[in-house]
Amino acid sequence: MSSTASPHEPAFRSGFEPALCGVEAECDGGRPLAGTHLAGRQAFSGRLTGHYRDYGPYPWRWYLLDSLTRKPDGFAASAVWCDAESLYPVAAPGRPIEQSCRTE
Amino acid sequence: MDSPLHTQLCDKLGIEYPVVAFTHCKDVAVAVINAGGFAVLGEALHTPDQIAADIRWIRERIDGKPFGIDLVLPSSVPEEKTVDELLAMIPQAQRDFEQQIKRKYDVPAPKIAPDIHHWGGLDQKRALDQLEVIFDERVPVFASGLGSPAFLLERAHQLGMQVWGLVGKPRQARRQIEAGTDVIIAQGYDAAGHTGNIGTFSIVPQVVDAARGTGIPVIAAGGVTTGRHLAAALALGADGVWTGSLWLTSRESDVNMPLKERLLEAETEDTMYSNCISGYTMRTTRCPWHDEWMSEAAPEVLKPPLQMILSSDYIQGSLDYQRKDLMTEAAGQGIHYVTEMKPARQILSDIVEEALDVFDRFSA
Repeated sequence: MSSTASPHEPAFRSGFEPALCGVEAECDGGRPLAGTHLAGRQAFSGRLTGHYRDYGPYPWRWYLLDSLTRKPDGFAASAVWCDAESLYPVAAPGRPIEQSCRTE
Repeated sequence: MDSPLHTQLCDKLGIEYPVVAFTHCKDVAVAVINAGGFAVLGEALHTPDQIAADIRWIRERIDGKPFGIDLVLPSSVPEEKTVDELLAMIPQAQRDFEQQIKRKYDVPAPKIAPDIHHWGGLDQKRALDQLEVIFDERVPVFASGLGSPAFLLERAHQLGMQVWGLVGKPRQARRQIEAGTDVIIAQGYDAAGHTGNIGTFSIVPQVVDAARGTGIPVIAAGGVTTGRHLAAALALGADGVWTGSLWLTSRESDVNMPLKERLLEAETEDTMYSNCISGYTMRTTRCPWHDEWMSEAAPEVLKPPLQMILSSDYIQGSLDYQRKDLMTEAAGQGIHYVTEMKPARQILSDIVEEALDVFDRFSA
């Protein structure tokens, strides 16, 4: 995993959800494209590590997807943080990721 | 008899026509809103202060009518390297090729160098800071151009705001419908920039089916530039259309004149779905940069964000010196029908009239 932290990294609360550790998942992800006003859609498949980060007061939860078996052409990193609402467990692709531990 | 163009989206927003203009230009937004449509202003690149100023500017000109703001919420973020590390990763062969292109086409150096030091590592923080302005200003509609807005629904609804989500896959739509998103925008492959890989004609009815019985309006996006597209979208079950390329060449648009001329001349085949601008595939108008990177002599396209760093001088230089022969812009496949520089009010009126003609023809 590429791991150089940004000096601008915002405050977040870290945690670990053991029920999600090792769960196979897909992410319909993406982010703003550097230097443009455009969105870049990116799809990933991999295995959740169980680690999460909560941003903001809502909270806005992100899970770490590692051991990537699918990633966009040119995607350099081997792991990716994914918004929980954009994650789909492979075993139950229609369900929110937090429910996947109850589906297995 | 009610107008066939009067949909539940019109009722939900209090607008006359179910046409949504997505634009980065405040003047276009105001013109469309005051002509009876709806506008969403793209503010993804702006600071919170700029967003607040734009919101107030619009409010002063639309007499209490609703409007929307679009941000590009990220939904996946790699852990990144620093800019200096990234710059060091650009191989000499690609640097040489970039220089060769600049010499061949006499590409001017940018007046101000692109600020690549603000490009990385800011995704979540930038989005959260921008969102605070949207909440503070109680913007009537917040549209998420990429990530799922489900996490902010409760707060937005408490403030009386609508939240719209743009999706490229049916399962994304189902998830957002379950979460309580107020409007779903179903975007097809025909659209400008980065899109999903499902065509507009295929994704719209699937999302309409997913939303059936929920009361959630669906808006069709991707390649919509005429009244026939509007009528077709409504026939597919959508409640309106989301349009972007259509407004780039409007009189009010702040796109510079040479680029407007280039867009007016562009055909569908001139929109290239290529990774040579950013490293990710995206639909933009063809330019010499595309031609060179698609040639046999071209080295391998670099990984993001290295390719964007490499192309940034070319793009900025072409804009700074208004070089029509070099310019490129995100544009959808419907650009073929964008052939005149008209006031936004006229563009909207033409779409509405043509759509009504279609319905008249079928009912005759």
